[in-house]
Amino acid sequence: MYYPYFISYMVFGLFVALVVFAWALRNGQFKDQQRARFLPLSQAGPHRSVRATRASRIEVYALFGLAIVGLCSSFAVVIFALWRAS
Amino acid sequence: MAESIEHTETNHLAAKAFAFTSALWFAFATSFGMIAAGYLIAPDFLGNIEYIQFGRARPIHVNLVLFGFVTPGLLAAALYYTPRLLGTHLYSQQLGVVTAVLWNIMLVISVISLAMGFSQGREYAELPWAVDIMIAVLFVMIIINLFMTVRQRQEQILYVSIWYTCAALVLTAVGYCLGNVIWKPDSGALLGIPDAILLWFYGHNIFGLLLTPLALGVAYYVLPLATRSPLYSHTLSLIGFWSLIVVYTHVGTHHLLQVPVPTWLKVISIVDSVAMVIPVMVFLINIWYTVRGKLGDIHANIGAKFVFTGTIMYFFANFQGSFMALPQVQRITHFNNWVVGHAHIGVFAFAGITALGGLYFVLPKITKKPLYSRYLADLQYWLILIGVSVMAVDLTIVGLIQGNAWYNGETIYRVLPEIHLYYVIRASAGLFILAGAYLGLYNIVRTLFFNPGAAKE
Repeated sequence: MYYPYFISYMVFGLFVALVVFAWALRNGQFKDQQRARFLPLSQAGPHRSVRATRASRIEVYALFGLAIVGLCSSFAVVIFALWRAS
Repeated sequence: MAESIEHTETNHLAAKAFAFTSALWFAFATSFGMIAAGYLIAPDFLGNIEYIQFGRARPIHVNLVLFGFVTPGLLAAALYYTPRLLGTHLYSQQLGVVTAVLWNIMLVISVISLAMGFSQGREYAELPWAVDIMIAVLFVMIIINLFMTVRQRQEQILYVSIWYTCAALVLTAVGYCLGNVIWKPDSGALLGIPDAILLWFYGHNIFGLLLTPLALGVAYYVLPLATRSPLYSHTLSLIGFWSLIVVYTHVGTHHLLQVPVPTWLKVISIVDSVAMVIPVMVFLINIWYTVRGKLGDIHANIGAKFVFTGTIMYFFANFQGSFMALPQVQRITHFNNWVVGHAHIGVFAFAGITALGGLYFVLPKITKKPLYSRYLADLQYWLILIGVSVMAVDLTIVGLIQGNAWYNGETIYRVLPEIHLYYVIRASAGLFILAGAYLGLYNIVRTLFFNPGAAKE
């Protein structure tokens, strides 16, 4: 009999999530979202923007190449699996 | 306010302790991974030494990656950014250091227990009951430290990274006790199918409700700061957070589609697995829009470079996971090395690389001196990236060979010679990661303990 564990956990989880959500709502956590966007930058020191160098561009191209190969491979796997199992 | 916080946070001992923990156990974890990979190539590898044979080395590797490397790495970053985002100082550096020390003791006991054969034999939940209790207590200690920090905050709005960090810790503390059935110390398990359901509920949530939210918290902090760009949309990030909490909890059963669990549970797990596209895409669109046009800044900062790569890997982990949950696809891709490849992309390529990024981003800030060697960190980046990419592709191919063979009714022993070469390639790729782990350990130890601050960037 395993349902009591799951039902207890689900009810507990739902209750806690609702309490936290209600707290966030009442506490104004969903207001002033524009200011929230800048919070990581609020204590940032001076910064000089860096231009991409030739080496960094090559690295980016390599990464994107890797990503495209990965994406194509993933699609190929899905198509192969669907073809074989259908 | 920034100066006063810096003044009170002079040592960052807790973050340093967790950073060192992560680097150290990364090296150990990959070493055990290599031993396990060696046994797959040659079953008589190392002469079958009892304490490190495959059945023991493999759970040691997995548990050390989860609790020794990735979690402490992400926690090190969280212990740094949580107080800063809240405009206060960490509630207790001493409590943080004690937690880190006990965390290491727990890891040592874990390795010894598993090496001596004390295992509960459930995947990702092998650790014996006493260690389970230690882990639960350690999570409670971290929760007390971070929640008290939240309570004493000067900044009223909780940035999305704080939401992710707090949720990860609470959900894991509860989920760990439940998943490890800690009310049954002898077995740490229920009986039959209910135990399988509970185990996969726990096993998948260790990734989705511990590593993922902690890693997303790091990414949401590091990338805007490294590029000096405000987050594209904080509202969108909160939508992503709440949708992850709602959707992720039930996906674990998609590993049990071919066993007799209730159909309604299978349907929920499949639907929610596919629905994971929502929180993942919300995060990726948000963070990639935030850093658009700032590739130069990302590459100038080694921490941001790791984290950005982690976001790309997160895309692949999600793409694979959502499709793998479809029963038709799973007939070929499940119960073979395809899943092992998927796990390496999720746990290591996404969460692990993000943890390393978090470490490299905060190390100069908590030590107040530059990283010992940017060159070594770059070298580690490429070693790890090449290693995990080759390994993932290799395991995917092996998985398809195995899946196809199972589907055709082929016997295991006839398939083994066919996939032997791929196990050699897998171990070779592992050597890259192993080298990267030890380089990282050297770099981080030099930065933490020996670097006088004169190193070259």
